[in-house]
Amino acid sequence: MYRLEAPAGDWLDRSRPLRFAFEGREYPGYAGDTISSALAAAGVPFLARSFKYHRPRSILSFADHDSNTLFQVDGVPNVRGDVTWLREGMRVSAINTFGGLAGDKARVLDRFGRLLPVGFYYKAFHGRRLFPRWERMFRALTGLGEVSLNAARQATPKRHGFCDVLVIGAGPSGLSAAMAAADNGASVVLVDEALKISGNGAPPALLAAVRGAASISLRPATVAAGYYADHCVALASLDRLTKMRAKAVVFAGGAIEQPAVFRNNDLPGVMLASGALRLMERHGVAPGRRVVVVAANLEAYEACARLGARGVTVSAIVEWRAAPENGPAAAACIARGIPVIQAHAPYEAIRGPDGTVAGLLAVPVNAAGGVESGAPRRIDCDAILMSVGWAPAAQLLLQAGGRMRFSEALQQFVPQELPPGIFAAGRLNGIYDLESRLGDGRRAGSAAAHVGFSAASRPDAADEPRRPTPPLPTVGFDEELRVGERRPSHPFPIVDHPDGKNFVDFDEDLQVKDLENAAQEGFDSSELLKRYSTVGMGPSQGKHSNMNALRVLARFRGVGVERLGLTTARPMYHPVPMKLLAGRSFHPERRTPIDAQHAALGAVWMPAGNWRRPEYYAVPGESRAESIEAEVHAVRSGVGLIDVGTLGKIEVHGPDAGELLDRVYAGKFSGLKIGMTRYGLMLDESGVIVDDGVIARLAAELYYFTTTTGGSATVFRELLRLNALWGLNCALVNVTGHRAAVNFTGPASRDVLRALTDVDLGDAAFPYLAVRCGDVAGVPARLMRVGFVGELGYEIHVPAGFGPTLWRALYEAGRPRGLRAFGVEAQRVLRLEKGHFIVGQDTDGLTDPFEANAMWAVAMQKPFFVGQRSLKILAARGPRQKLVGVELAETARLPKECHLIIDQGQIAGRITSIARSRALNKSIGLAMLSPELAQVGRDIQIRIEDGGMVGGRVAAAIFYDPENRRQKPGAAA
Amino acid sequence: MQNRGRLGLKGARAQEWLAANGVIAPAAANSWTLSEAGAGTEGATDALLVARLGTSEFFVEGAASAPAMVKMSRLLDSASPGVYPVTREDWGFELGGEQVHEVLAQVCDVNFAALRLDAHPLVMTLMIGVAVLVVPLGGLQYRMWCDPTFGPYLSESLGAVVIECGGSYTGDRG
Repeated sequence: MYRLEAPAGDWLDRSRPLRFAFEGREYPGYAGDTISSALAAAGVPFLARSFKYHRPRSILSFADHDSNTLFQVDGVPNVRGDVTWLREGMRVSAINTFGGLAGDKARVLDRFGRLLPVGFYYKAFHGRRLFPRWERMFRALTGLGEVSLNAARQATPKRHGFCDVLVIGAGPSGLSAAMAAADNGASVVLVDEALKISGNGAPPALLAAVRGAASISLRPATVAAGYYADHCVALASLDRLTKMRAKAVVFAGGAIEQPAVFRNNDLPGVMLASGALRLMERHGVAPGRRVVVVAANLEAYEACARLGARGVTVSAIVEWRAAPENGPAAAACIARGIPVIQAHAPYEAIRGPDGTVAGLLAVPVNAAGGVESGAPRRIDCDAILMSVGWAPAAQLLLQAGGRMRFSEALQQFVPQELPPGIFAAGRLNGIYDLESRLGDGRRAGSAAAHVGFSAASRPDAADEPRRPTPPLPTVGFDEELRVGERRPSHPFPIVDHPDGKNFVDFDEDLQVKDLENAAQEGFDSSELLKRYSTVGMGPSQGKHSNMNALRVLARFRGVGVERLGLTTARPMYHPVPMKLLAGRSFHPERRTPIDAQHAALGAVWMPAGNWRRPEYYAVPGESRAESIEAEVHAVRSGVGLIDVGTLGKIEVHGPDAGELLDRVYAGKFSGLKIGMTRYGLMLDESGVIVDDGVIARLAAELYYFTTTTGGSATVFRELLRLNALWGLNCALVNVTGHRAAVNFTGPASRDVLRALTDVDLGDAAFPYLAVRCGDVAGVPARLMRVGFVGELGYEIHVPAGFGPTLWRALYEAGRPRGLRAFGVEAQRVLRLEKGHFIVGQDTDGLTDPFEANAMWAVAMQKPFFVGQRSLKILAARGPRQKLVGVELAETARLPKECHLIIDQGQIAGRITSIARSRALNKSIGLAMLSPELAQVGRDIQIRIEDGGMVGGRVAAAIFYDPENRRQKPGAAA
Repeated sequence: MQNRGRLGLKGARAQEWLAANGVIAPAAANSWTLSEAGAGTEGATDALLVARLGTSEFFVEGAASAPAMVKMSRLLDSASPGVYPVTREDWGFELGGEQVHEVLAQVCDVNFAALRLDAHPLVMTLMIGVAVLVVPLGGLQYRMWCDPTFGPYLSESLGAVVIECGGSYTGDRG
């Protein structure tokens, strides 16, 4: 390849030369070049190594439809060279090489092709002993590009888009469809994957009209990467992903040129004719000095004419068909003196000394359509352009639910049935003549603009004449209309060769025999063939290989292609950089109203669901463990303060409020005295514990209750559902985020709180488990005397806006008594000492109240509650496991949560919670254990990370104050 | 949006209760209106914004010192059967300007530009993962509220998008 000197309306700005490096060597280029075009212009012989055999490769499609031109650029992997603008100073290197492109050590694999047939990895490398070695080898050998773990995060502005009609493809039919839709009053978005929209042969006046239409948004360099329900299409641009929601979609993405299959059709210098034209007309790069065109359609001759117009010499046309091409384009080629070698097929591309193509062997085609390989004719050349056929860019149409049928006349699949709101136009619809494509586009665009409207006109087109919905069919023209038209695709552009290397899928290095071998092994449907051979699973997703693969399979099975059907590629249809999918990586985070106070106190944060909570409060001079221990000690000996605002908080109002709670919780609440609280255990239909909390009765028809931090949304949603189902006379209000809550606890808590509140805190007026309303530090509050951490304490709930005021007041009042704020870790230790389980940590998805020793919270005698029937069944069955306390014999090696308990070589349980307890001077925990072992005093063995065993003993789960003296009247008066 | 008072109520007789307190509620579900009942001497700008969330829940916002707001907040605590108070400590903010639809398109999949404002629609949707209440005020101005615990995240995240779109962000919570 070489740069054409005379500029002729291409995309280059020759006044702005650029310099870049490829494989460590500097090359020139221009502004307006892509990476591939600049390398081609510089005459770089090959740009890549193929996936499996590491054969040298160069430009094939120049449309980003193959993986020959993926590069590593400035540390970014898999940059698509065909569609990435060249920049000054770029550092480009090939991917999938070991030791550089030229000296790639893995190129020896090409010689061992016979040992690497299709699916070879299913038949070898699975011996247990050596598998780890093979796994490491394959991981090193396979994959494309290198990911840098130190790369900077690139946030992209993902957005939503809305339009009446989305048109995919800005060729003649797409431009025509967009204009027709706009003329009918629709808002239109027109996308095309090309870096610039040039119309691809459409009339310049049409392109100008589209550019000037106010209601058409033109988006070049944008790929429609996937179709989702309700006409939602993912559009991937250079810098962002747009989730476009349209009322109708016109698929006008055209057809993708297909390669001819012959030996060495992957040599550098062998490319698709359309790719060569794009390279030449957009970037001024000629494909070669002696070009041979392999032809099987009119486009081949049109390509020759366009090449000739730029001064590129076409040495010969190898015409595959028996009958000559007629018409002006063919006549022009003959007039130019280009020899047409009729009824000949390409047999083998000849490799030159530099690894690029040096010639073509052509062989006669016989009457049956096969080839006579006995006397090949050699044609010297430095470029082979293939123009033998097309396949529709129909994958998104298939994702949208469209059904295709195979047209024998066209030798391509065409739409047969399309869902409502989906339209197809142009080559994708089997229309190839330019005027017909323009008309087809008008039909589709006009029909799309009328989606959702009656036979009357669109209401927005006030100035437009009222038009009826077009009567034309939503799919393309009848087959009869296509008869007599030219045939754009050869029915079987595949030539067998005894030495193989006739590639069907360039991305996956698959030859004809690979597909035949797969079919022979029984993988003989299009779906099975794809999965076993990986055809169509590379970066191109079958764009250049699916059709030929179907032909090979059809021949093998002796059936027509129409019997096999197309596979549907799943989104993303085209490679999309991960940064576009990640967008800005929004991570919703909740903060309690007291967040700023925690930060001021040196909180070390931890995630708790989607909340951020203080894990502990860092104090200079203290380690993490020391701080947590000190926080625990403060609670046990004086007073501590923790923000529990993350708890779910729900109110239920109304005459049936108590009835609702009776049904959804296992305990009884309709009889709860006003001013008292009770622990609530929530089960699901199978009797499994799903949540817990404290339920307070504030008034005859008002209950206020808490849920776990992680369960608030789920519980509220479920209560709403059940309330709607049961039709009870009550209303639910979720105030989780609208109320702040703290737990003020410790032997000195009552003393300190007295000074801040008008509520009588005496044991008689405010007994254990009571709830009172009053002011605390001037803030209207609900106070609940509960004992989660096992000390005298008060959970105080206030409107969220008053949270900081409440915290500051309690904190300042408590400091003279040694108050410390305590965080989640200290709370975990405190409640563990008290034997209180945490739903979801000490219970799992199968734990019922029998197993958790929580039947005391269940009122089985109620008429009904969720899970009641299952509990009756479970009672008869007996528990599978029991939640027990554990004391550890030694504390040097503390097991972790989820470490297994082993008995006689079998798993007998697991640790669910564990901590060192300074108050008790030992390590304690909770564990799920087989019932047979769950006796107090029983010794157990726990397996820790290094495989070693640590001894423990089953203990009563309530380690601290088992008789609850800290809560009884007179406690810490 | 500072110095704004908010209250919520729900129930079969909630609309009746509002009317008894001189507050006109919108008739259609998921819509809003301005009620003059709360207007102080300063005039229409002190009108209460009354939003109907679904069929029987209401959200009212006005100047914290507006007599109607003060009175209703007090009365709700002991409201009659069929009228249930809903604690509202929402994080409120306003978004507006020429690029407002570009900002909204980056954070929400509702087509705000296509809303028919004469119907005074109220939008309850998700905005970057957070449930929000949105009132299009017209003139490319939107007022929004969310759970206060999501406020800092939503405010900071929206602010980053606003700044990238060439706007400014004060970060004040209301």
